[in-house]
Amino acid sequence: MKLPESQAAVLRAASADESRSIERLADETGHKPETVTGTVFELEDEGLVAVKESIEETVTLTDEAREYLDSDLPEVDLYETALDAGADADPVEMGRVIGQSGLEGPAVDIALSNYARKGYGVIESGEITADPDADPESDAEAGALADLDAGEAVADEAVLDQLDRRELIERDESTVRTVTLTDAGVTALMEGVETAETVGQLTPEMLTSGEWRDVEFAEYNVEADAQRVDGGKTHILRQTANRVKDTLVGMGFEEMEGPHVDAEFWINDCLFMPQDHPARTHWDQFALETPREIDELPEELVERVRDAHRNGVGEDGEGYHSPWTEEVAKGVDLRGHTTSLSMRYLSGNEVGDLEPPQRFFSVEKVYRNDTLDPTHLLEFFQIEGWVMAEDLSVRDLMGTFEEFYAQFGITDIEFKPHYNPYTEPSFELFGTHPTTGEMVEIGNSGMFREEVLEPLGVDCDVMAWGLALERLLMLMYGFEDIRDVHGTLADLELLRETEVLH
Amino acid sequence: MPVVDVNPDELRDLTGHDEKSDDELIDDMFGLGLEFEGRTEDGDLQLEFAPDRLDRLSVEGVARSLRYQYGDDRGVYVPGTNDADWTIAVDESVPDERPYVTGAVIRDVSLDEDALDSLIQLQEKLHATMGRKRAKGAIGIHDLTMLKGEAAAVEGQSAAGNSITYRGVDPDGDRFVPLDADAEMTPADVLDSHPTGETYADLVAEYDRYPAIYDDIGLFSFPPVINGRRTEVSTDSRDLFVELTGTDQWTIDRMCNIICYALDARGAKVEAVEVEYPDRTLVRPDFEVREKTVTHDRIESLLGIDLSAERVVDLLERSGLDADPEEVGDDEVAYTVEVPPYRVDVLHPLDVVDDVGRAYGFNDLEPRYPDVGTVGGRHDRSKLEDAAREVLVGLGFEDLLNFHMISEPENFDRMRISRPEGSDADLDHVVTGAAEPATILEPYSEDYTMLRTWALPSLMMVLENNTHRGYPQDLAEIGLAARVDDAENTGVAERRTVAGVLARHDASYEDAKARLQAITRNFDADLETPATDHPSFIDGRAAAVVIDGEDVGVIGEIHPEVLVEHDLELPVAAFEFRLDALA
Repeated sequence: MKLPESQAAVLRAASADESRSIERLADETGHKPETVTGTVFELEDEGLVAVKESIEETVTLTDEAREYLDSDLPEVDLYETALDAGADADPVEMGRVIGQSGLEGPAVDIALSNYARKGYGVIESGEITADPDADPESDAEAGALADLDAGEAVADEAVLDQLDRRELIERDESTVRTVTLTDAGVTALMEGVETAETVGQLTPEMLTSGEWRDVEFAEYNVEADAQRVDGGKTHILRQTANRVKDTLVGMGFEEMEGPHVDAEFWINDCLFMPQDHPARTHWDQFALETPREIDELPEELVERVRDAHRNGVGEDGEGYHSPWTEEVAKGVDLRGHTTSLSMRYLSGNEVGDLEPPQRFFSVEKVYRNDTLDPTHLLEFFQIEGWVMAEDLSVRDLMGTFEEFYAQFGITDIEFKPHYNPYTEPSFELFGTHPTTGEMVEIGNSGMFREEVLEPLGVDCDVMAWGLALERLLMLMYGFEDIRDVHGTLADLELLRETEVLH
Repeated sequence: MPVVDVNPDELRDLTGHDEKSDDELIDDMFGLGLEFEGRTEDGDLQLEFAPDRLDRLSVEGVARSLRYQYGDDRGVYVPGTNDADWTIAVDESVPDERPYVTGAVIRDVSLDEDALDSLIQLQEKLHATMGRKRAKGAIGIHDLTMLKGEAAAVEGQSAAGNSITYRGVDPDGDRFVPLDADAEMTPADVLDSHPTGETYADLVAEYDRYPAIYDDIGLFSFPPVINGRRTEVSTDSRDLFVELTGTDQWTIDRMCNIICYALDARGAKVEAVEVEYPDRTLVRPDFEVREKTVTHDRIESLLGIDLSAERVVDLLERSGLDADPEEVGDDEVAYTVEVPPYRVDVLHPLDVVDDVGRAYGFNDLEPRYPDVGTVGGRHDRSKLEDAAREVLVGLGFEDLLNFHMISEPENFDRMRISRPEGSDADLDHVVTGAAEPATILEPYSEDYTMLRTWALPSLMMVLENNTHRGYPQDLAEIGLAARVDDAENTGVAERRTVAGVLARHDASYEDAKARLQAITRNFDADLETPATDHPSFIDGRAAAVVIDGEDVGVIGEIHPEVLVEHDLELPVAAFEFRLDALA
């Protein structure tokens, strides 16, 4: 018979005549008692050994008890001092006896409480007497402690209970297993038991040969930490962007796509931003040095936009009293918002003329010449969305935002009337932070003006909004410095350790 | 956004609400869209607001809006004006670049220190906003008693009694004593050595002749730069002459209106001025009330609520407007809304609807989800990008997100490639990254002067900034790269690029190639890697990435010189190719 090494060893160490304890088998085989216990059960399953279990009480001495082994019990000390002070004749003042005894601290209380119980004398009204017939030499408790220390059993339950109450001993029950060889075990030994080898690694050969049945696998320390693996992870800002995209697609929005470098015409002029608007200076938006201007703009649209800027739209509409030239409109910039994409789509230049109803969105990068600090980047993602339909109202706009932001735990949306050159009415959006509960600005929105829509050829209502994705990320993850995440200063450790949100 | 400082005591005076506490006023102003930002050293309230209601750039305008909000005032108010006594004659010599002038006379002002501060603030804020830093319009306010205009009247140029002249002056022509100076200076001297002159010198630098205003005594104002000391306004001034010059008549007329309304609110009397151009004469200020027509249906549909005509008129009047409902067709009602001359923000009837909404209270509207059915979906490009990213992450790459703006040294020099010029511009087809970059006219800093032509430099920078973090560092990015391309309408070819780096103590070409193979296999694309030369990579260990027969990128072991340049002490294998090759 081939057995794993530990089973073979235990089998050889067991006897058919004598019950042997686990400890003894462990001693003889050199294995840990836990290992032997497991092995014994395996052997029992195979019918090679019989296991008997009994409950055994073990009594161990506490540290306090060990002190008394070297000296006397405190009450014995007290008795002997009292005798010396003549308390066997007349009561002696207790304070004096205690002083002479050298007892201190808790030992005093221990001595006093056990003194009378054992009949060493009487303590009354601050005086102590000693019974001359008492015999501390044969104190049962002291004797029991000595016996226990010597490894002998103490049969007197009353004394053990007393020692337990005094916290001089600890009593534990444990299961003791003893092992004897069965007939099958004896037979197996007589027929010869071979030891199977221990292996570290399960190999393909073992599996195909069936050798795995006969080997024992070396034990691992399964609690130890393994070497760190980081694996790959989608960037958290991308994850956030994808959450937004999923949400908007679920709400019926279709994604837009378009150039990062674009003509001011699409970025500003279509949005009815006068050409001398302060936000159109190079301080807000990055104009390009090369190339300088777009090749071509849709001619008719340029004329309609120019006319809206100069003369306004509608019977009593007014235009701006600002210069407007196609040269400025053709200048190319890094887009300061993705509303340029909305203009391209609404104009029919991207996916053909659009009939209401429509919903479109994008989550794309925009570029602003802002001060670089923990909450502002030169490039960031803008969530852009718009709805085109007949007779949209401010209430529809509000309802859409409530629905969208609720998906991110942001509730109690407030609408602060605002001004944008391209929307009227316009609102700044404020919402309640999902964890801190404070009011935070979460976006800008409004209904596109007639001066925007009419030149584009749109004759129904369009409501639109924009929001910085990074703001949503910071709200969701609680980051304080966006530069740790976005850009070449990103901290890999932070990206690796950021908790996955779902 | 503009910030206006408001003295709360003045606000109580001007609104006639002495009982209002500062906190109540702050709350009331928030309702107007004026956000409390804090207090000045003097205890004034600092209020930020969107730049549409420029009539609220001073305490007088804020007080007027509050009185409408409180219901103390209703409807359009237009101050009465006295007939003109003064004329501004416009001389042919006025610089072509700044041909327009307007003005008003203000009588019986009583300016204490606070009122004078407020007037100066209003002037400065109007300069900063409508005036486009004085380029489009500049305001000069003068003590009328210091002006002598009779001579012109004697010459009979005008029906009015007194006159001043707007004309051009040679830079080294007449001299005057400007504000905050003790000596006479020519306009050129002012630009050269007066602090205010230096600040605004750019506005007139290109002019042959400078704008100037004269009375009988001589030059007293050099717009848009500085006034003369002679006519300086003080708390003792009783009558004022307001003049504005600029590049647009409408703009300076509106700025003038806002000044006149502010002084009228303090009990002064506005007096007309005649502006005499060579070909026409205008009477100013122009307090014309404009009209906008809006239908009842439009108001209801835009706000999403039902309103009675009486309610609409009430809300308009509480906004400082007047309105007449009128039947214009089958059950259709339209309002002819009168808009006062200080409202520079009303261009279209829609702006009037916004006023109705504000007066009603937008936050009292019940949100509703629009009952409009549409089908959502992702753009093909973004779906491809996500699919490729998922494969990269599955291969163990940490997905990164870098800036599209980069510096020229990072993009080229530190990668051992050079920026191509002119005819070299097509080199990108041979050497990935070596393309003519789109450059920024006025960069924020020297770190961000152009759009990156490839993404590997960004990943190398991330490795450089993370040498203290654990290895291996397998990083990837799918992002934008751009190059100048005359064939594109915008002049820039934008594309998504896939870049990956493997930084580990035993990184090799084989590691990078294995992953590249895995990527192309996932997209059922055919991959070949013929040997190539690329300065960023070790000779003999670089190859072109050819996907489905097209050369779309590069793969190899990064050149030691590039590694040392990025402070890296272990090998890096890398690849980069165009995302659309996987489509």
